[in-house]
Amino acid sequence: MVGTVSLSTKNREQKSELRTGNALLGLLPIAAGLGIATLMHFFLPGLIGQFYARIVTDIGITIVLAVSLNIVNGMTGQFSIGHAGFMTLGGYTAATITYYGSMFLWDSAGKHGGFLGSGEWLFIASCVAGGLFAAFAGYIVGLPSLRLRGDYLAIVTLGFGEIVRVILQQTGKTIDDVEDFKNAGWAQLIPPPVGGAVGFDGVPKYTNLFWVYAVLTITIVVAYRLKGSSLGRAMISVREDEIAAQAMGVNISRQKVLAFVMAAFFAGVAGGLFAHERGVIISPKDAGFQRSFDYVIMTVLGGRGSITGVTLAAVLLTALPEMLRDFEQYRLIVYALLLIFMMLVRPQGLLGIHEIWNFWQRPKSSVKSASPEAQV
Amino acid sequence: MSPPATTSSAVQSADALLDVDQIGISFGGLKAVQNFSLKLPRSGLFGLIGPNGAGKTTVFNLLTGVYRPDCGQIRLGSTQLGRGKPHEITAAGIARTFQNIRLFPNLTVLDNVRLAGQLRNSRGLLDTVLRTRGYHQEENGLREKALNLLEIFELQDRAEELASNLSYGHQRKLEIIRALATDPKVLLLDEPAAGLNPQEKRMLAHSIQQIRDRFQVAVLLIEHDMPLVMEICERIVVLDHGVTICEGVPSEIQNDPRVIAAYLGGGLEEN
Amino acid sequence: MSDFAQTLITAIAIGSLYALIALGYTMVYGILKFINFAHSDIVVLGAWSSYTLASRILPKLGLNPHNPESVPPIWVAAVVLLAAMVFCGAVGFTIERLAYRPLRRAPRLNVLITAIGVSLLLQNVGQLDYVFGASPQKMPPLLPSWELASFTFGEGETARRLVIGLVDVVIFATATSLMLMMQYLVFHTKLGVAMRAVSFNTDTAALMGIPVDRVVSFTFVLGSTLAAAAGFLYVMKYPGMNQPAHTIWVLLGLKAFVAAVIGGIGNVRGAVLGGFVIAFVEQFGAFYISTNYRDVYVFTLLIVILLVKPSGLLGSPLREKV
Ligand SMILES: Nc1ncnc2c1ncn2[C@@H]1O[C@H](COP(=O)(O)OP(=O)(O)O)[C@@H](O)[C@H]1O
Ligand SMILES: [Mg+2]
Repeated sequence: MVGTVSLSTKNREQKSELRTGNALLGLLPIAAGLGIATLMHFFLPGLIGQFYARIVTDIGITIVLAVSLNIVNGMTGQFSIGHAGFMTLGGYTAATITYYGSMFLWDSAGKHGGFLGSGEWLFIASCVAGGLFAAFAGYIVGLPSLRLRGDYLAIVTLGFGEIVRVILQQTGKTIDDVEDFKNAGWAQLIPPPVGGAVGFDGVPKYTNLFWVYAVLTITIVVAYRLKGSSLGRAMISVREDEIAAQAMGVNISRQKVLAFVMAAFFAGVAGGLFAHERGVIISPKDAGFQRSFDYVIMTVLGGRGSITGVTLAAVLLTALPEMLRDFEQYRLIVYALLLIFMMLVRPQGLLGIHEIWNFWQRPKSSVKSASPEAQV
Repeated sequence: MSPPATTSSAVQSADALLDVDQIGISFGGLKAVQNFSLKLPRSGLFGLIGPNGAGKTTVFNLLTGVYRPDCGQIRLGSTQLGRGKPHEITAAGIARTFQNIRLFPNLTVLDNVRLAGQLRNSRGLLDTVLRTRGYHQEENGLREKALNLLEIFELQDRAEELASNLSYGHQRKLEIIRALATDPKVLLLDEPAAGLNPQEKRMLAHSIQQIRDRFQVAVLLIEHDMPLVMEICERIVVLDHGVTICEGVPSEIQNDPRVIAAYLGGGLEEN
Repeated sequence: MSDFAQTLITAIAIGSLYALIALGYTMVYGILKFINFAHSDIVVLGAWSSYTLASRILPKLGLNPHNPESVPPIWVAAVVLLAAMVFCGAVGFTIERLAYRPLRRAPRLNVLITAIGVSLLLQNVGQLDYVFGASPQKMPPLLPSWELASFTFGEGETARRLVIGLVDVVIFATATSLMLMMQYLVFHTKLGVAMRAVSFNTDTAALMGIPVDRVVSFTFVLGSTLAAAAGFLYVMKYPGMNQPAHTIWVLLGLKAFVAAVIGGIGNVRGAVLGGFVIAFVEQFGAFYISTNYRDVYVFTLLIVILLVKPSGLLGSPLREKV
């Protein structure tokens, strides 16, 4: 069995189809996603009405959060429960930049310019800045805890979210008046006055379907390409068996930190989208663990490492409570029972480690137990 | 092939590839390994034997950085490994298999091998996300290399299956393939024949020698099957209670009273 | 000076509460190697069941539970405490049986997720209208508001009083005696030996004929009763009770867990030490720097300890066997 080991010296001919790189081809999925996002932006509200368009926007933001958390919790097998902390941190960073940046640039914190106008570019740049800041925070927090056993990360991230919440609560009132802002000294601007416990009101509401689904496209493309690559394999190997991964040359601390920082980045960007969404006032309590748990539940339910599974779970768990507003009291009870039940009967989640299309393909795993070698 | 029994260790040490000098570790009060030394020459095939609990696996764990030695030196070629992290040691050229199989169960056979093959991969996040030409070249190279290895060991047909779905014998084989995929200079095999039937063991013995020749690796083999060890190993180190009780060519080991005593006292597990 | 002393007294009282809660975390972690996230909810359960019971008993004694002046006889406090401990012990037993035991061989992450599920369940069931409700309540006083000692420092405008209340003494005394009992149990009884054996290696313990399931059950019951006592004592000191799912409670539990980690998770004495360390950092940080950031100090300390001594103050480094 272990091989007659012909150990033939001739090289095998290349049978596998080789994919050649083409940067333009590589951008195709992103272009397609942006196209769809544009169509959604212009036609969806007319088709389904503002109320449902708002839910679709929420769903998009939630998917970004759940899919990015899944890079840490699902692919790399670590357990972060402070995702909302990173989201809120990014959201506040972005909102601070657009709010005071607009005052600085255009003498008003209101919206500036139309679709793809200068205001929106400031907005998306601020979201990226929010992502970078969240990623930096993730690096600081993750570096010590990721070197230790997995569940320390849970505690540290949970604590992190709470710290973000506490710190944001201590901030001062926002400055509403442009003149006041321009006359304010550094002492009044550091730490930035972002509204304290009541939240950051008055942030220009730039978030729209286009930007949400553009970010979503990029998030999913990145997550998906990561999963199929050497980097992603290394992350998955950390989840599967840390000792074996190290023995195969994987720098497990590096993989964990990379996954964690990436997730924090996307969470920060999503926070930017959230902070600029119509009808939302981002507030310190968004950083709390309740919100983080929502995203954890989505990754667990969807399947650890399955991008489509987690997307599906994010859609379901965002849409359902909106439809069942009267049962708000029971929502978390249902979530709780769902978690316990899943761990008892289907710990791998709805789709397990697979993507949705794997279920259409030829099932590969059921055949081999019948093969003769099985007796060995 | 095997050096004559009279070869002095001084001669070997000059060109020893892996030079282990007096390493040891204890867990709490238990001295699991003490003063372990070994000089493994380039393309050598040595055996490490001893009763259960003697500390053989612990030696592997020390060599691969899973445990940090309390004392002693480890040198591979001209690099001092000392207290390196496991992944650094793998990159330096020591690969291993695990006594209790540790494949990545939810990765395919191909991915298990590819993962091991990618440790010198230089493509970062940006290349990965943008799918640049360089990224594709590297991934294609990895895939080819992995498929080549699988073909050599006649596992190419199972490439797309999950590793957990392989038979026990195939899983053991995949462990070896995976270790070889890291391009090691030294290959540590921890009881690769455990659980195999006599015929499979014979084939394994043969292939270990072939692996050594074809891949130009030095092999250190932990194995309980005495005939197998005696047949293929050039030199053998015997451990008991963490202490090296004897070292020499198979014929010396076979007749050494200390070895016989250790096995009788320690109760050799019969496979 | 008096402010310092007052802070010290509070720190000791709160520290003994953290220690009580931390013991539950550390025992479960020691044996089953997972963070029992639901442990803090047992503390809440202890507090709220004490409240429910007290507000039922007091009217029967002709006392108005909402009148802070009416203090019942001391046995009421003892009865309420015991009842809360028994009740929470039973709940702890049930949770282990139904949610954790089936996962004994499952990956640790799954158990952790289950624990979060149990925690969410307890919080939100507790908030239902026909359980404890979703609004804050005020714990009726069960202890006389005696000042055992009172000192005055300074004169006139700057005069400050230092008060050692009965509450602080009761908290410290109750917590300490419970911890001493625990200590005796773990280190001087057969059951304690069994617990430590299971904690060292579950499989070997089972082979040696130790009834692992019973030991685990017992550990949960023990941890839960201590948590209940902590919950009771906490609302004796801070009678303003937040609703069961309030962040305050989670933070209380979280800080107790941090105490267990800082002391060295799995180490009983470490949990006690950690409890006091946390309380001191928190209280003195609040006193010298700012009250607003008290939670920040604790988590910063955690990160520092994880960096400097990952196995905690009294813990020994773990090496996974390969
Ligand atoms: N991480 C560890 N912690 C405590 N004891 C260990 C550890 N690893 C190995 N040991 C002990 O060291 C001794 C040698 O074990 P091992 O090297 O696995 O023996 P073997 O020769 O059978 O491979 C055994 O007594 C084992 O229990
Ligand atoms: Mg062994």
